[in-house]
Amino acid sequence: MYAAWTVKHKPQTLSEVVGNEEAIRKLTSWITSWNKGIPKKRAAFLHGPPGVGKTVAVEALAHDLKMELVEKNASDYRTAEAVQRFAGLASQYATLFGGKRVILLDELDGITGTSDRGGVRAVIETIKTARYPVVLIANNAYNPKFSTLRRYCLLIEFKKPTILQVMKRLKKVCAGEGIMADERALKLIGERSGKDVRSAINDLQALAQGRRQLTYEDVAWLAERDRKEVIFKVMRDIFYARTCVEAKRAVDTTDVDPDMLFQWIYENAPYQLTDARDLAMAMEALARADVYRGRIRATQNWKLLRYVFDLMTAGVAMSRQRTKPSGWVPYRFPERIRWLARTKRERQMQKLVGMKIRRRMHVSSVQARKEILPYMRVIFEDNAEMAAGIAKWLDLDEDMIKYLAGTEGRTKAIVKNLSS
Amino acid sequence: MSYEMWTEKYRPKFLDEMVNQKEIVERLKSFVKARNIPHCIFAGPPGTGKTTGALCLAHDLYGDGYREHLMELNASDERGINVVRETVKTFARTRSIGEIPFKILILDEADNMTRDAQQALRRTMERFTETCRFILICNYSGKIIEPIQSRCAPFRFTYLSKEDQHAYLQHIIQKENAQVLDDGLNAIFEVSSGDLRRAVNALQAAASAGKPINGETVYSVVGRANPTDVRNMVVLAMKGDFAGARDKLREMILKYGLAGSDIIRQIHIDIFRSEIPERWKIKLADTIGEIDFRLVQGSDEEVQLSALLARLTEAGYEMQRGA
Repeated sequence: MYAAWTVKHKPQTLSEVVGNEEAIRKLTSWITSWNKGIPKKRAAFLHGPPGVGKTVAVEALAHDLKMELVEKNASDYRTAEAVQRFAGLASQYATLFGGKRVILLDELDGITGTSDRGGVRAVIETIKTARYPVVLIANNAYNPKFSTLRRYCLLIEFKKPTILQVMKRLKKVCAGEGIMADERALKLIGERSGKDVRSAINDLQALAQGRRQLTYEDVAWLAERDRKEVIFKVMRDIFYARTCVEAKRAVDTTDVDPDMLFQWIYENAPYQLTDARDLAMAMEALARADVYRGRIRATQNWKLLRYVFDLMTAGVAMSRQRTKPSGWVPYRFPERIRWLARTKRERQMQKLVGMKIRRRMHVSSVQARKEILPYMRVIFEDNAEMAAGIAKWLDLDEDMIKYLAGTEGRTKAIVKNLSS
Repeated sequence: MSYEMWTEKYRPKFLDEMVNQKEIVERLKSFVKARNIPHCIFAGPPGTGKTTGALCLAHDLYGDGYREHLMELNASDERGINVVRETVKTFARTRSIGEIPFKILILDEADNMTRDAQQALRRTMERFTETCRFILICNYSGKIIEPIQSRCAPFRFTYLSKEDQHAYLQHIIQKENAQVLDDGLNAIFEVSSGDLRRAVNALQAAASAGKPINGETVYSVVGRANPTDVRNMVVLAMKGDFAGARDKLREMILKYGLAGSDIIRQIHIDIFRSEIPERWKIKLADTIGEIDFRLVQGSDEEVQLSALLARLTEAGYEMQRGA
């Protein structure tokens, strides 16, 4: 089972939270002021863009001050009644364990009503009578529906962290997962996420889970192609579609490159469809989609593209027959694209050496690569003198020798033999 | 000390030096004697002397300067009708200087040419018969179109017998001062099954370590030369680790440059060797055949083979449930 790294590596104490020092100082001094009696503003309203650490800061602070955190999400209190039920907790005198308590109303953006009625009004009522600190969180505190509410709150703005702060956080996660990561790779992930730490950590997980190393090449393509949020959404829409129409619509609503999307679905199908029968069905649908792609290439009949889409979206979606729902599985970036980038040089060298062999040995370069090159590799590993002779005979350059010999040391030995 | 790849160093130079394909060699010698050859098709499995036979024939016919009267093309490198047609035309058009009035064009892997390319080739062959004779080399003569076949003298090359292979390898072993034990020689035959090129490559790679060669050395060298194990991939898939099997597949295709058609052939062999219920072997053979056909049509190798691996995973699951 996968654990989301955003949860697994969530900061436990304030000292681990990066950025927004000023906002956190303000929040801390306000909460601690409750020790001297109820302050003028009984609520703090934290606002700022997603993934900058608002919720995390409150959670860590509650932990540090040993306060009980009573937390509710937008989905839980859209209406007045729901808020009232919950708000009771704020006006009670003692907590279950006799300790102190923080009331947290998160994702307030989704709440209904205005200052006169509905959810917002209920929140205001709650604040007026609160005997414990109430913390509100929303992305945009300046939404008109919050205009009255704002008067009862201490406004604390959270800003986007700097790229260095995001990288620091990512480094910490990497350290926790035992991954050696290239600074430039982390920087790119951070930048591409728009300095949204949560989204950056999600990306990091998709890119690096199960690996020991993360290089810039592994993430470089992030810079070029479709924004990953768009792709993630399409993937969700496809893998969870219940009808063919739903699955097909997922593509219509975006302008993701079809080949790219194909790679994404192809990569993720085995992780999303864990039942062997479902998976076989999905992979066959993708293979059939690929057959149609081939027919388009051969005939230039682009009308056939609709069948490619049918199979790669609805075909895969409808394969979900027996797979049991199993919680959140992160989407993976298409390994194949990474493989292609990583093995590009090797294939290039194979080709070049193949051409050299072909010239001398009456075979095609394809045959040379298949039948002769593998044995040459063994010779280049075992016998520097023979390797040097063959290198001279085939007119191989040092890069080619290195490709065949595999290591720096053996290459040196062969090159030394070459000149003697 | 000069080193080459031994397959080249010890490639026979004259028809007399060829150890196998006795009947074919006799017929080729009669061409030399007559100072005339027809268009030919040399068909047969790899490593049985097709290219060597063609080169020796030319050498015997023209003498040491034979290279000037000869052109070698490889259909799988010289892709496209136009490339072949233009190159062939330019070469075939001009008359050969010397007592023999024609040149020889060796077209290797001719069965890789499209039908269109073969049609074009047929017209070229007809037009320039006076000045140029063609030797088409292929694995299966059936893949050559009928009108070309009917214009050529067919030669069927077969795998070398164990004795022929041993005789040839012994010659190399002596010249190179290598030490090969009997079970080493047997192992080479085992891994090459009559393909002399593979046998000599395995011998040279094994000899490069500089120690006496026994069976174990040979198997280890062949294992190192083929680091990707199709069998291992099939087992992974059948055990339910589809993602792991797909990674292996990627390694084969992208890192080691294996062709999809070779991988699928090995999967096919492996399925029949495996210890699964007999009726499943037939079921899977049908699936493999379907995927193979799609590869031939030019579909994406990784995607198609992945679908096959997913079928193997499903089959493994069904078998476990006793289906």
